[in-house]
Amino acid sequence: MGTEVALNGHKTVFESPAPTALLWALRDELRLVGTKFGCGAGICGACTVIVDGQQQRSCQTSLGDVEGKSIRTIEGLSSEIGKVVTDAWIKAAVPQCGYCQPGFVMAATSVIEANPTQSVEEVISQLTNICRCGTYDAIREAIADVLATLKKRF
Amino acid sequence: MAGRAATIARRTFLVGAGVLGGGLLVGAGVGAALVKRRLSTLGEYKLPSSPGEVSFGAWLIIDRDGNVSVAVPHQEMGQGIHSLAVLLAAEGLRLPADRVKAIPAPEAWRFVNPVIMKAQLPLDPHSESQIQAAALWTVDKLFRISGYQATGASTSTRNIAEQIRICAAVTLDMLTRAAASRFDAAPDLLEISNGSIAMSDGRHATYAELAEDASKLSPREVALPPLGTGAYSGKGIARADVPPKTLGLARYGIDAREQGQLFAAIRHSPRLGGKLLRAKLPEGQPGIRGIVEGEDYFAVVAENFSTAVAALDKADVQWRQDVGLSISTSDVFKSYRAALNADVKFPSRWIVDSKGTTTRPSDSIELANGSSKRKVVSATYEAPYLAHTTMEPMNATALVTDTSCKVWAGHQSPTVAKLLAARAAGLKFGAVELVTPYLGGGFGRRFDLDYVAKAVEIAKHFKNTPVQTIWTREEDIRNDFYRPAAMADLHGELDEAGSLVSLVYKIATPSLADQLVKRIFPAARGGLMADKNAADGALFPIYDTPNRSVETFIVDPGVPVGTWRSVGHSLNCFFMESFVDELATAAGIQPLVYRARLLEGKTGNNSRRASTLIERLVKYDAENPPPSASPGVKIGRGFSIAACFNSFVAQAADVEIKANDIRVSKVFVVADCGFAIDPPNVTAQLRSAVNYGLSAALFGRIDLENGRVVQKNFDTYPALTLANAPRITVEIVTSNAELGGVGELGTPGIAPAVANAIFAATGKRLRTLPFDLSMAS
Repeated sequence: MGTEVALNGHKTVFESPAPTALLWALRDELRLVGTKFGCGAGICGACTVIVDGQQQRSCQTSLGDVEGKSIRTIEGLSSEIGKVVTDAWIKAAVPQCGYCQPGFVMAATSVIEANPTQSVEEVISQLTNICRCGTYDAIREAIADVLATLKKRF
Repeated sequence: MAGRAATIARRTFLVGAGVLGGGLLVGAGVGAALVKRRLSTLGEYKLPSSPGEVSFGAWLIIDRDGNVSVAVPHQEMGQGIHSLAVLLAAEGLRLPADRVKAIPAPEAWRFVNPVIMKAQLPLDPHSESQIQAAALWTVDKLFRISGYQATGASTSTRNIAEQIRICAAVTLDMLTRAAASRFDAAPDLLEISNGSIAMSDGRHATYAELAEDASKLSPREVALPPLGTGAYSGKGIARADVPPKTLGLARYGIDAREQGQLFAAIRHSPRLGGKLLRAKLPEGQPGIRGIVEGEDYFAVVAENFSTAVAALDKADVQWRQDVGLSISTSDVFKSYRAALNADVKFPSRWIVDSKGTTTRPSDSIELANGSSKRKVVSATYEAPYLAHTTMEPMNATALVTDTSCKVWAGHQSPTVAKLLAARAAGLKFGAVELVTPYLGGGFGRRFDLDYVAKAVEIAKHFKNTPVQTIWTREEDIRNDFYRPAAMADLHGELDEAGSLVSLVYKIATPSLADQLVKRIFPAARGGLMADKNAADGALFPIYDTPNRSVETFIVDPGVPVGTWRSVGHSLNCFFMESFVDELATAAGIQPLVYRARLLEGKTGNNSRRASTLIERLVKYDAENPPPSASPGVKIGRGFSIAACFNSFVAQAADVEIKANDIRVSKVFVVADCGFAIDPPNVTAQLRSAVNYGLSAALFGRIDLENGRVVQKNFDTYPALTLANAPRITVEIVTSNAELGGVGELGTPGIAPAVANAIFAATGKRLRTLPFDLSMAS
C-alpha cells in the first residue's frame, strides 16, 4: 500500500493516507523540512515543489494526486539549471529571513528549465510567490544573472 | 577636535567604569579615537568557552584552529545582525570574515539591550541636553539590572557594534603583545596577517598558539580604528546565512523535529478577547492524542499536523457568550472621532510636544474667517489595523517535564520568552532552556510571546513529550497584535508667505506600550505616562514650527495591539508627510522646495542632515524625470522625508495610474544612518522595509465585524508580489554622525511618498489607507 513516487530521483513510498497533503507528508512523515508551510491555501508558494517538471504548491496537492509521478524538493535540487539558480541566488544575496526562498528557488528553477531562453519579464510573470521581506529587487537581479549565464552556455 | 575629546572624557567620567555601549562615542571618521578601554568590564564577564578555546571579554572566542566565534545577543530574522557582528569582529581582529562565525550570546545580564528601552522614552534623540544625557544614563543602568534582552526597534547594531569593535581591538592588542613577548621583539616589528603574527625573520605564531598567553595579559587602552578604514566596514561581507537559506538547509522554529514529537493545531476564540467554555473531541480518532482546553483557545494534539488541523473542525466547541469584543471597525473610528471632538476635555489627552502658542482648531477657523490673513489647512487622516504576516506563521515546540521546560521557537526576546514559558509551565525562570533558530520574519510580532506560552501550556498536558504547536495562517492573521488603527486631526496655519506658523496635531489611538507591559506583567497599571509610540513621527519633527502642539488621545477599544515594523512612525509619518504636501499645495509651492523652506533657519546637525537628503531628492528628481503620461495612464511623483531610529531617510515614489488601479513603478531611497557598516545589507534592509510598508499601503487592512476579524489569509489580506513590487534604488549618505538604526527605516516614508505621487497624478488627496481611488471624490 502507500503512495509510490520518484522523490529526488529515488523510489519512495509514502505511508501517510492518500488524501494527506504532500507538504505535510514531506515535512512530518519524511522529516524533509526544506519545503515550508506559509498559508495552506496555495497562495504564498512557500510550499512549492516540482512535480513532473511543473511548479506545484504541495499544500494543495494530495499524495493521491502524485502517485507514480516524479517529485523534486529543495533538498534534491541538483540539476544543472538548479545549480545555476542557487549560485545566482547566493551571489545576489537574495535571502533575508529566508523562509520563502526554497519555494522561490523551486518555482524559478522549474520555470527556467521549461524554457531557458525566456526573458526576465517572462520568468517573473510566472512567479507569484510571496516574500514578506520584499527581496524582489535581488530576485530580479538573480534571475537576470541566471538567464545571462544560460545564454552563454546554450 | 579638542572639544570633541573633552566631550568623550566627560561622558566617560559621567558613565564611569562598568558601562558599555549605548553609542555614546563618536561613530566614525573622526580619526583614530582613543577609547578608554573599560578595564573592569572586560574582566567583569567572561564568555563561557569549551576546553581548547580561549575567550576574550564578553564577545570573542578563539578556538584551537585560530577561528573565532563572536557572541550575538540578538536574533537573526533577516536583518543581518549576525553578519554585522561577524564583520566587525573579523575587521577588528584582521581576519578574513569566513574565519569568524556568530554564536548566540548566553542569556546573561551582560547582554541586555538598553538602547531599545531608551528609545521608549519621550526624549529627543538628537538633543544635546545634559539633563537628558543623565536621564538616559539612569535608564541605561536600570535596564542593565533587568537583564532584558530584545531584538527590535532597529537597535541591534547600535547595541553591539561599538562593544564588539572595542573587544576585538583590545584582543588584537593582547595577541600582539603576547607575540612580542614570545619573540622578544617590539610590537611594531610584528606583522599581522590572516590570523598569524610574524617577525621579519620568519618566526610566527597563530592566534590559536598565542591565545592562552594573550588571555593572561591585562587588557589595556588601544586606539580604535575608525569605521571605514578596515577591511570590511563601509564595504560589506557575504552573509553566512545566505547559502543555507537558499539551499533549504536553514532551520526555523517550525522545523524542529525532536524524537517522539507530537503536533498540535490551535484554534482561538473567533471573537477577539473571547474565552473558551468547553471543547471536546469524540474518542478513538486515529492519530489523535488528545484535545487541550486553554483559556481562549483549544488545541488538538496528534501524531502529525495534518491530522491535528483536520480535527479542529470536528471538535464540539462552545465559547463563552458573555466575554469578548462585539465592536466593528466603524465603532473604533467613531470612538476616535468622539475623543478628538472632546478636545481639551478628553481625560486621556497627553500633550507630548508643545511650543509657543497655538489656538484650538475650532477657534482658529473663526479667526481665519475674520480679519486674519492666515490660511488655514485642516485635514483628518485615518489608518487601519494591520497584521504582520511573517512568512513563518506563529509556532513553538515545547518539552515539559516535572522539573524543566525546553522550548524551540523564534522570538524577539529570550527574556520574555523564558518568563512566559516558566509561568506557563509552573516552573522557575532558570528551569527553562530556550533554543533559538532563525526566525522566518519578526517585524515586531515575535516580541509578543503568547505563542510560546500557549505551546508550553499544551505540552504540559503531554509531559516528557515534545509537542509542536503551529498556527494556521488564518489563526495567525486573526490573533495578531495589530498595528493600531488611528485617526488624526491636523490643523496648520500659514502666513502670507506660506510658512507654517502654527500646527496642532492630534492623534487618537491606543497605548500599545500599556498593552505590551500588561501582557508581561498583568498587574501593571497603565496610563501613567505618555506613550511615545502613539506620537512617534510627529514628535521631534524635522521641521521646526514656531507654534505647535502634538497631542495623543488615548482610546483603547480593546483590540490587541503591538509593535509593527516602524511602530508609531508607520502612522504619523503617513499623516505628517502627506499633510506637508497639503500645506505646500495651499501655499502654492513645490513640495520639495516647501520642505527645504520648512527647514530654513533651523541650525544644527539634524537640519543639515535633513537638508542634505532634500538636496539629494532634488538632484534625483532633476536627473531622473518621471516618464510622460500616456493615453489612459496618469503619472505622478511624490516625496517624503523622515527622521526615525536615530537616522534620516527620504524617498521619491513614482506611480502609474490606470482608472483606479495604482501601480508604484519606482522608488528612490536616500538614507543617512551615520555610517553604513555593511552597505549592501543596508540597501537590502531599506528595500525590504519599503516593500513592507508599500504592501500595507496598497492592500493592508484588518477589519472587525462584531468582534471578529474579517480577513483570514493572503486572499483577503494580500501581500506585495513580484508583479506589483517597484524597482527600488538606494543611495546611502555618510554623515559620520552617531550610528542610527536601519531595519525599519524604509517603512514610514513610502505611504506618504505614494500618497503625494497619487495627488500629483490625479489631484486626488487620499487621507486613508490602504489607498483606494474609488473612494476618493
